[in-house]
Formats: sequence, C-alpha cells, structure tokens
Amino acid sequence: MSTKDMLRVLVVDDMSTSRGLIIQALEWMGVATIDHCADGQTALQKLSASPVHMVISDYNMPGMDGLQLLEVLRKHESFSRIGFILITGTTDPEIVDRGTQLGMNNFLKKPFSPTALRACIERVVGPL
Amino acid sequence: MTFAVSDEFRDSFFEECCELLEAMQDGFSLMIDGRENVETIHTVFRAVHSIKGGAGAFDLNELVAFAHRFETVLDQLRSGKVRPTSELYLLFQQCGDHLSDLVSAARNGTDGNSETEALLLQRLQAATQIDLVPSTAAQTSDDDAGFVPLALEIAPLTAPAADTQHGWRITFNAASELFTSGNEPLPLIRALERFGPVKITADLSSVPSLDRLDPMVCCMHWTIDVETSETEDVILEVFEFVMDCAVVEIQPLTGADLSTIATPPKDAGSTGPDAGQQAPIALDDRDIAPSAPPIAATTAGGSASQTIRVDFEKVDKLINLVGELVIKEAALSQKIGQQQVAHDNAVLLELEGLKHLASEIQESVMAIRAQPVKPLFQRMARTIRDAAASTGKTVRLVMEGEGTEIDKTVLERLVDPLTHMVRNSVDHGLETQEDRIAAGKSPEGMIQLTAAHRSGRVVIEITDDGAGINRDRVRQVAEEKGLIAPDDHLTPPEIDALLFLPGFSSKQEVSELSGRGVGLDVVRSEIEALGGRMSVSSEAGFGSTFTISLPLTLAVQEGMVVDIAGQTMVVPIGAIKETLYATSATTHSIGLGEKMLSIRGCLMPVVDLGVKFGFRAEASDLRDRVLLVVETTANKQCALVVDALHDQRQVVIKSLETNYCKIEGIAAATILGDGRIALIVDPEGIARRATDFSPASALMAQTAHSEGGALETI
Repeated sequence: MSTKDMLRVLVVDDMSTSRGLIIQALEWMGVATIDHCADGQTALQKLSASPVHMVISDYNMPGMDGLQLLEVLRKHESFSRIGFILITGTTDPEIVDRGTQLGMNNFLKKPFSPTALRACIERVVGPL
Repeated sequence: MTFAVSDEFRDSFFEECCELLEAMQDGFSLMIDGRENVETIHTVFRAVHSIKGGAGAFDLNELVAFAHRFETVLDQLRSGKVRPTSELYLLFQQCGDHLSDLVSAARNGTDGNSETEALLLQRLQAATQIDLVPSTAAQTSDDDAGFVPLALEIAPLTAPAADTQHGWRITFNAASELFTSGNEPLPLIRALERFGPVKITADLSSVPSLDRLDPMVCCMHWTIDVETSETEDVILEVFEFVMDCAVVEIQPLTGADLSTIATPPKDAGSTGPDAGQQAPIALDDRDIAPSAPPIAATTAGGSASQTIRVDFEKVDKLINLVGELVIKEAALSQKIGQQQVAHDNAVLLELEGLKHLASEIQESVMAIRAQPVKPLFQRMARTIRDAAASTGKTVRLVMEGEGTEIDKTVLERLVDPLTHMVRNSVDHGLETQEDRIAAGKSPEGMIQLTAAHRSGRVVIEITDDGAGINRDRVRQVAEEKGLIAPDDHLTPPEIDALLFLPGFSSKQEVSELSGRGVGLDVVRSEIEALGGRMSVSSEAGFGSTFTISLPLTLAVQEGMVVDIAGQTMVVPIGAIKETLYATSATTHSIGLGEKMLSIRGCLMPVVDLGVKFGFRAEASDLRDRVLLVVETTANKQCALVVDALHDQRQVVIKSLETNYCKIEGIAAATILGDGRIALIVDPEGIARRATDFSPASALMAQTAHSEGGALETI
C-alpha cells in the first residue's frame, strides 16, 4: 500500500473555487481521503472527530488565518504532529518566518500547478 | 495522466468572483460614506486577494496582474502605511470597477481596457507613492524565501486524546404537559442517534405508583450523552419544537464520560511498510482511530457551502410542472364541485389540503427564482459613476431595499431599461454643479434607487434631486414634434406623461450618454413587456421620481375570470381599480356611438370588450353589464365592459406569442380548471389606445394620426 492510499488530508480554504482546485489536484494524485472546510474553527472540529495526517490550509481567511490555525494545532497535544502545508498568495518573508517558527511543514505560493502541489506534499511525506 | 481544470470550476470561479466583487464594492461604499470599521478593509483586501488567487489557477494573467497591484495598495492601506482619504476611496472604487471589467473580460475571453488600467495605475501610484511597475505578480516563482520543508521525525499519529473528542450531555427536563402539547420524546432521542453513539439515562424518580399515574402527564426526565463532532447549535436544533415545554441543558462531555459510550469497531487497515520507511511522517492507518465514520472523498468543494447551483432550466421545468399541478388541482376541484358532494365530505377536506399544498409548493418554487435586487443596484451604481464622470457632475447614490427579491428573469430584463433610466437621471435629471450652486443646492447631486414590495408587486423608484421636469420645454417639444396641438389643455401629470410617447426626446443636442435614439417610450415598452407599469412624478426645482411597478413573477398572475359574449376570458386583477354596474345615470353616449363613464366627476372612455374582440356588434344598452375600471401607467382611466364576473383565481400564464402570434389587446393565454383555454386581456394596452383616441382625452388627436387604423375598433 503506497503512501497516497493511506493519506488523509484536510483542505481548509474560504474560497470554494480554490478549495475545489486543491481537492481536484489531490484526487488526481490519488490521495485516499480528502475532507475540506471553509474556516479554521470548523477545521478544528473536524480534526477532533476524524484525525488526518495533513492539513493543507490557505493563509488568508476570515476569522482565523492559516497561521493562527497552525498555532492552535501546534499548541494542542493531540494535533501537534499533524503535517501542515500553508497555501499563500505572497512570499512575504514575515509570513514564512512565522510559519517556520510555528513549525509548518511546507508552504506553496498561489497560483500553483497540481504538479507543484504534489512536489510540495512529497517533500514532506515522501513519494506518494 | 494529465491534469485538466474542468469548465465547471471555471464557471464556479466566475460566480464566486461576482460574490467577491459585490463584497468589495460594499466595502468601498462603506468607506466612502465613512461607515467602515476594522473589518471592512480586511474584507476588501481578501476579496481582491481571492480573485487574484483563483485567477492565477486559471492562467488569467491580465486579471492576476491588476489584482496583484491593487492588492498591494490595499495591503499598504491595511497596514496603515497609506493614509486613507476620500479621494483615494473614490479611486479604489474605480479600480474596483476596472477589476469587475477584467473579470467579465476574462469570462468572455476578451482583453480588458489597457488604457483605463494604465491611467488607474498611474493615479494609484501618484496617490499612494507605491511603486506599481510591472511586478512580481507574473512570476509565480519557485522563490521559497529560503524555507526548508520540515521533514518531521515524529512518532506515528495517534488517536486524539479523549478530552478533545466532542460529545454533549443533554439534560432533558420535560414539563408535565409535554404529551398533551403533542410532543413525544422518543423521536427526539432517535434524532440524536443520527449524530453518533447515544447513551440514555431516564430519571424515574418522579414517576408515581401505578394507581396514581396519569398517562397524559410526563413525569420522566432524561440525560442523554451523545458522542459527536456536531456543534451545540446543531444538537439543540433537535429540541427546537419542545423548547417551550421542556428545559433542555447541554454541556460538553469529558473524555471519561465518552469512554462509557460504545465506540464503533476500529478499522483494520494494513500498514504500508514502504511508506513507513520513506515518509518523514509515518503513515499507519491503524494508528488513526476512526471515532467517526471515515470521511468520504469529496468533490468540487461544495458541501461546506450553504448553497447549491442548479441549472436554470431545471427550475423552469419545475415551475412549469407546478403550474400544471395548480391547473390539475383546479380541474379536480371543479369536477368534484359538479358531483354535488356533501360539504362535510372527506374528499373535500383532502382536496382543501391538496389545494393548500399546491399553493405552498408554488410559492416555494417561485422563491427559488427570486433574487435580491442588490447586484442590479450595484450595477447601476457603476453606471451612475461612469455617467457622472463623463458629464462632470458629482453624484451621490443612495440605495434602499436592496434585499427586495424579484424573479430572476425580471431582474435580468431590468438591466437595460434601468441603465437607461439612471443615465437619464444623471444626464437630464441632475443640473450641472454651477446650476445647483446657483439654485442654492449642494453641488453634489443625489440619485436614489429604492426597491420595495407593495401589494403583491415590486416597486422600483429612481429619484433624483435635480431641477424636475421642465414642463414648458416638454410641451414645446411635443408641439414641435406634432404630438399635441398648441391649444391642447394638459395637466402637469399629462405633460410628464408625454415623455413616454414614441419619438419624444427633449434634449436638444444628442447627448453622449442617453441620447442614443432610445427614448423613454422604449423603456416603457420593455417594462410593460415584463407586465410592469411605469409612471413619473416631478416637482420643479426638487427633482423627479420614476416609478416602475412589476409583478413578482412572470409565471402566474391573479386573474378575474369574466364572461364576454359567451367567451370566458381573464382580466389581470392587478389592473382592475374598481368594478361597478353600468347605469343610465353614469354612462353617457357621445359622438358616433361612443360611450363615456362618469364617476365622481371623472370622465373616461368605455370599451366594450365584446365589440373590441369582434364577438358582437355594438351593444346598444349597457345596463346590467359589468364595468371594470382600469388605469394606465400614465394615470389615465378607462372602463372595460364585460357581461359577467365569474371567479378570481391564479392563472398560469402561457405565452401567446411563442405559441401563436401577438394579438392586439390580448396579453397571453391560460388554461382554466376545466381544461379550456382562456385568453388573458391586456387592459393596459386597450386602455392606452382608448384614452389616446378618445374625444375626452386631450392627448388623442396627434397620436391617432400616427397610429391610424386602430380607431375603428373602438
């Protein structure tokens, strides 16, 4: 059984188009289980109910932004080891720095190709 | 295997863009009005940012490039590096307009206006001192800012600790009258089982001994533990209907509590040995304890949102079918009525239920098509801004009742007439700044768009605070164009109504904006084609108000079923102002067999529909005939003669034009309860012709010449 057959991913993005695109790309990669939601709060609820290996989250969201979500995850014992990939529209060094400090596993700049997303994930979990 | 973004996504992206653009424009309006708060700028920024992000995924580079620069400026504003001024906000609004244009262009596969863009960018740069030279936007770069992906050497994922699992303890203390109020606790508990494993404890301490037990009194209380990820609100919704006869308390469950609730068996997944070695994060399915059913792979990011997108044709089909259902229901009613069943017959009761249901379905289906006028108004805001810019006037737009809902088709077909109207208001209605100042008014003109529901119709008003209609000028133009005779005596409302006559255009020189050979008459006929009516009121020096009154839907109409020379026809109720019997005291003959009705000192032409439609020769005696007083949008009245009134009912409108051809005086057709086809009268059209041609009307002479032959039918 390869990595992708087991991989469980939660996609968090407030814009349904972006969310849909990420999901479509993940499906194309053959990722086994993909869940999604539109904000950080719901993400936390979902994570409590059904754990995942990795969260792929947008940075810019109303309410809790991507890094705030990461911060909550890292503080929480049972979530702290979940992989986290941040999707961001800018490569603002400040955001990357904060992400690094919080322990994000990787980040990807928008817009991106499905191949770029795949590479980004593989740099964290190894070949899919 | 290649990856292709589906068209479905493209469409959904553009629809999402519309929502984002709407939010953005709302934000700018708030800023301009000084009503913004901390969230406003963030909302605007996010909207532009999200458009950029989405556009990038579809390779819409032109859109990305502009959105990126716009976003850069907004970001600087957000972080306080740029000082907000009202000029800057206005500039933002224009940039927002340009962004909307780019989105439309991208959707249609065309290019945006690069001159506008260059100008806007120049002004943005000048206003903010931010360098907006062709930029980093296009580079989607692999620039990773020196970030090294974090290959965490961590232990395999474990199940979340029990205390993080969500669960709720609900104490359900029912009042003693729970049963008599028609509630039953079991379905409620069953409903909770949907959310996850449930443990129920019944408190029987208040249950009396059997001899004193009243089975109608509820004396039990329950404690229900449910293991679920649902939110408190969702759980409480189950109890929504018993809230007034029970005390329901809800508390989060602790891990210890949860452990007592039976957990579903664990999945026996197999370990991937390869994965475990290669992956920095070890992936082992067995280590993830599914506390809930496995999450299904979902498509197309839909389920999280509160709306679904449905093909418009499907809704139309549904509406048609519901129309048929209503007709069938009416037919059934009629058949049963003819059987002379007893009034307390159970069939009648059931039929009443069916009737109720059918009309509720109809309303709900109509509601699917209804959409708020807000996007339409926002579009007008844009039109007004553009018109203001090109005329050099400053205009403040006030919108009211944007939430008013109206049929989608009506809404779409309103775009053109309304665009024309607001342009007209800016161009002709509002004075120049100098004139306004001279008249002691604020140099800034005001245009107000209002929408409201009024007695089963939607009323849209376009009000300006300009100089009002120049009636002398209107009169003069109408005389010059031969629309009226120099000695015609016209009241002010009659003069205003001249604006709607074909071929009338008062502005001497053709204006760049509204003077495109399209007059208000075209606007009026477009509105009338929608079943609407249009009128104007005006006060010299204070401005004008154009009022458009529209039906809520195009599909059904409230109609009066009438008998005309043995023919069953339908007159739209909305048009009927008054119904009365003709008497010799109120009807007078004038001229060649023409008749007039006089009520409360008001004279109006009488049109015998039987004659009008060629069912009979002129009736000599009007006695005992029914007169329906109808009013045109130009506030002219006319009395229609019918033989009898039958019934008032909802009729489903079937277009005559698409099925046959247009007939003068007939608006559409419908199918009656007994399956017969009945024609729907067009009272507006008939009345307009009658009042235009009647000797009592001051307007008749000239128009009669221009439209000639219809005269003999009256």
